[in-house]
Amino acid sequence: MRRVLLVALILCSCGRSTAGRPDAPTADRIVSLLPSFTEILFAIGAGDRIVGRTTWCDYPAAAREIPNVGDGMPPNVEAVAARKPDLVVLYNSGPNVTAAQQLERIGIRTVLLDMNLLDDLAPATRRLGQLTGLEQRAESLAASMDSLLDRPRPPSTASLAFVVWDNPPIIIGRGSYLDQLAALAGARNVFHDVAKPSAQVALETIAARNPRWIAVLSDSAQPPAFAQRREWRSVPAVREGRFLLLQGSLFGRPGPRSAEAVRRLEALLAR
Amino acid sequence: MKWTLLIAAAILALAASVVLGPASVPLGDVLRSDIVWNLRAPRALLAFLVGGSLGAAGASLQALVRNPLADPFLLGLSGGAGLGAVIAIALHLPGPWALPIAAFAGALAALVLVYRIGLIGGAALDPRILLLGGVAVGAFAAAVTTAIVSLADAAELRNAFLWLWGGLSSASWDSVWLIALYAPIPLLVLLAASRPLDLLALGEEPARYLGADVEQVKRRVYLAASLLTAAAVAVSGVIGFVGLVVPHIARLAWGHRHRVLLPAAFIAGGALLAIADTLARTVVAPRELPVGVVTALIGVPVFTLLLRRWSVA
Repeated sequence: MRRVLLVALILCSCGRSTAGRPDAPTADRIVSLLPSFTEILFAIGAGDRIVGRTTWCDYPAAAREIPNVGDGMPPNVEAVAARKPDLVVLYNSGPNVTAAQQLERIGIRTVLLDMNLLDDLAPATRRLGQLTGLEQRAESLAASMDSLLDRPRPPSTASLAFVVWDNPPIIIGRGSYLDQLAALAGARNVFHDVAKPSAQVALETIAARNPRWIAVLSDSAQPPAFAQRREWRSVPAVREGRFLLLQGSLFGRPGPRSAEAVRRLEALLAR
Repeated sequence: MKWTLLIAAAILALAASVVLGPASVPLGDVLRSDIVWNLRAPRALLAFLVGGSLGAAGASLQALVRNPLADPFLLGLSGGAGLGAVIAIALHLPGPWALPIAAFAGALAALVLVYRIGLIGGAALDPRILLLGGVAVGAFAAAVTTAIVSLADAAELRNAFLWLWGGLSSASWDSVWLIALYAPIPLLVLLAASRPLDLLALGEEPARYLGADVEQVKRRVYLAASLLTAAAVAVSGVIGFVGLVVPHIARLAWGHRHRVLLPAAFIAGGALLAIADTLARTVVAPRELPVGVVTALIGVPVFTLLLRRWSVA
């Protein structure tokens, strides 16, 4: 009995790792379930092979023409399967592992990739290059992504706090993509000591750490609504209107445009 | 003696929440610091007022529905407030007060609906139907809320739940004044109903024989307690356990007479929430714990200890 179980386990694990098989055919019908993957696939010239994307995949403009299979949190497995993909690319997270198993069970190849930090960009790009047979273009893109990380860091002078929600105040800490962007752009995240991608803090902590800038992901040109709230005016940067309004599609995700995001942030900080 | 202890505890809790915090403010500068004056002091006072309101609302609702499990949020108000907040975010209602106003409106809508359901059997408000109606309306509102969150595109909708359990982060002198001017009215209505509430504990029939206008009392108590809770949820989100545990603790120490029970539940609720919020801000600084976690972590063990003492005695 135990042996049968063992064999079954091995068979299962083989089934799950089809994506890694060197002889697997290149993917022609891809469902991309993360905006970062969609952007990378377009950047390496596989955009026309994407047959399904998430609601959040809004770049490049051509991505919007691709059928939407939902918000991807968690993926709607039937909607994904209905696009008859030969490869589904998912962000590596708990609910997505389950979805990937379900898709594998009906014979659809899946691959789970990490995409939390700048460091994840080049490996994911190379992997997508292998899977699409576009290794060369993927390699040159991956090399440019690596060089962004290797770039000598400018001295951190200006300080900032990323505020992703105002009540309760949620900020971005160390080990997050935005913290890395800030460092590359020469700014010091005042919550770099918080070893969590995002965390709830007391408003008085933000006031006491007194960042020069409050950075918010926002597609609007107006300061966020909390700027008018009385308690937030105890934070000097809010009182004096020092906001960095960062467009969500460019700043909210690692991708081929991360270098552009760093340059834009540098320009904003130099004001 | 009991009163001296309680009032001393409340004063200590308020002092601690003004002096302690994640930002280090030297003791000598406490009175001049902008952080203390504009962030900590209003937050401490708001915690006290909200905790007190929840304590008093919980005590009177438990008497009204004659159920020890009654909690101010059990009667559908948190569901209604959450739905209001989500609609405000989904419709991008502008302005710094859009969310609290929408949450208050949602709680009021739930209140009216539950009240209407409570009258389903005729002119008399049936506490059992009120309780069931509250649970049903709350579940329905929560379902609609979840549907909106999963169907609408706005990414910030996921944060609506953060807001709903948000605690006292948005405290300012504005919200303190708002509650300080608003809460006394329903609190006085509850206090004025304390004698009939005592009688109601004997059952509706005996209360009626003893001269209480049972129908009027039930309506007044339900509306006043719910209006208190609706304001609390608008300024501080849903804060659990205060409205459930504090009335029981107060009843163990002060007995069942509402004229003393209600003020005791108010002060104890205020002190508990002020202490809980101080701990929430300081124990894992610079990070902060959701205050509802701390109220449960303190409230439940204290309550269990008292239950044990009470059962032994």
